[in-house]
Amino acid sequence: MIKIKQLSKKFGALVVLKDISIEIKAGEVISIIGPSGTGKSTFLRCINLLDQPSGGSIQIDGVNILDPKTDVPKIRQKMNMVFQSFNLFAHLSVMDNLTLGPIKLQKKSIKDAEQKSMELLRLVGLAEKANNFPDELSGGQKQRVAIARCMAMEPEIILFDEPTSALDPTMVSEVLAVIRRLAKEGMTMLIVTHEMDFARDVSNRVLYMDEGGIYEDGPPERIFVNPQREKTKAFINRIRNLNYHIASPDYDLYAMNAEIELFCEKQVLPVKMRQNLLLVVEEMLQLYNPLLSTISLDITIAYSEKKESLELVFDSLGEEVNLFEQNELPDEFGLNIIKNLAENIEYQRLNNTNRLSLILKKHEK
Amino acid sequence: MNIEASKESAAMVVTVTGRLDAVTFSGYEQKINALIAEGETKFVIDLEKLEYISSAGLRALLATAKRIKAKSGQILLANISGPVKEVFDLSGFGTIFQLYDSVESALEIVAG
Repeated sequence: MIKIKQLSKKFGALVVLKDISIEIKAGEVISIIGPSGTGKSTFLRCINLLDQPSGGSIQIDGVNILDPKTDVPKIRQKMNMVFQSFNLFAHLSVMDNLTLGPIKLQKKSIKDAEQKSMELLRLVGLAEKANNFPDELSGGQKQRVAIARCMAMEPEIILFDEPTSALDPTMVSEVLAVIRRLAKEGMTMLIVTHEMDFARDVSNRVLYMDEGGIYEDGPPERIFVNPQREKTKAFINRIRNLNYHIASPDYDLYAMNAEIELFCEKQVLPVKMRQNLLLVVEEMLQLYNPLLSTISLDITIAYSEKKESLELVFDSLGEEVNLFEQNELPDEFGLNIIKNLAENIEYQRLNNTNRLSLILKKHEK
Repeated sequence: MNIEASKESAAMVVTVTGRLDAVTFSGYEQKINALIAEGETKFVIDLEKLEYISSAGLRALLATAKRIKAKSGQILLANISGPVKEVFDLSGFGTIFQLYDSVESALEIVAG
């Protein structure tokens, strides 16, 4: 359906995309993920020529859309785009937003355009809002109207540029539900998103973008669970890991706990696992407490969905010391708690770093 | 954490609510020390509403118990359950104190 060869895009001296080649087949739902600034949105905008590529070729159903002789508006009607900021026409009602394109560009009758638009509004759950104006709608409703407006042009491909990034978290799910439905119905879609669970759930292919191109390309079960390349691994690990830095003995335990709880919520961890995690972290910090006036501590909490396990790593610079072999503890309470809740407790000396690592024992379900 | 103390006939019943951890343990110790300074020597600590305890909290219970016993007093713990009981079991703390199922049964022991 879409064949892209050696696509490049520069803004002045800044090279944003270099040498991207990819084929996209009909029916594919492709999520595009990666750190900010790696050209994900630019890539989408080049595909529908909102940004003019600097080099390469883009073929849609065999037609090179970069050829000056190509009827680009006609080709572009095959594709439509949903933006982060909705981009509805504020002066038009919801119905008029949807019917404008079909009437003006596809020469449909008002009656046919309105009938089709009502069907689409029912599809996105907003039939009752047909006569409302965009400023009367919530963010989630605006984005659903934007998707319906896209659909009104009967595209073969929909490009989504961070469709939920501007939405209140409470509205994200209503928009994702509509996109899921389109995926089930076989719509070809490219979705730039930071919603990793959604990307994993709805896509049949994931592109991780970095270094100006498609750094890794694969099915979601590979990209999210077993990425092959270093930067993909680091990116996926970052979203599966929590990193916390403790710089003094006056650290805010409750602020740290709040971050840990948020991390647990994102990973959908069971309550018991969260409780044990919070307790083990506090006990480990009690072990480190005498040293915190002279050293700083980096804590990494890594969740492996595959193994359903939490690994904790505590790194500190300084003289060689294994806190589990210290004999200066006031009592065994803290150590007993740690040893009963964790396993694979290991000490390593790595260059100048003392590393204590442990894995939380699996709780009984 | 919240601490409420009420004088019953046999002892001072101290109800601890919330968390007893590295942040709040000193508040618990201060309260008990103040009651000891007022002449109280018999305590029943009601932990029914305690949601979380760490080794710092256990240490505070132990430290205040030692102070009470130094005054020839008595301290009993009541209503340990759920996550708090688990921490008692995991840490080995459960063997140090006699634990009672209710404040009433603990008060009977103190009165006896």
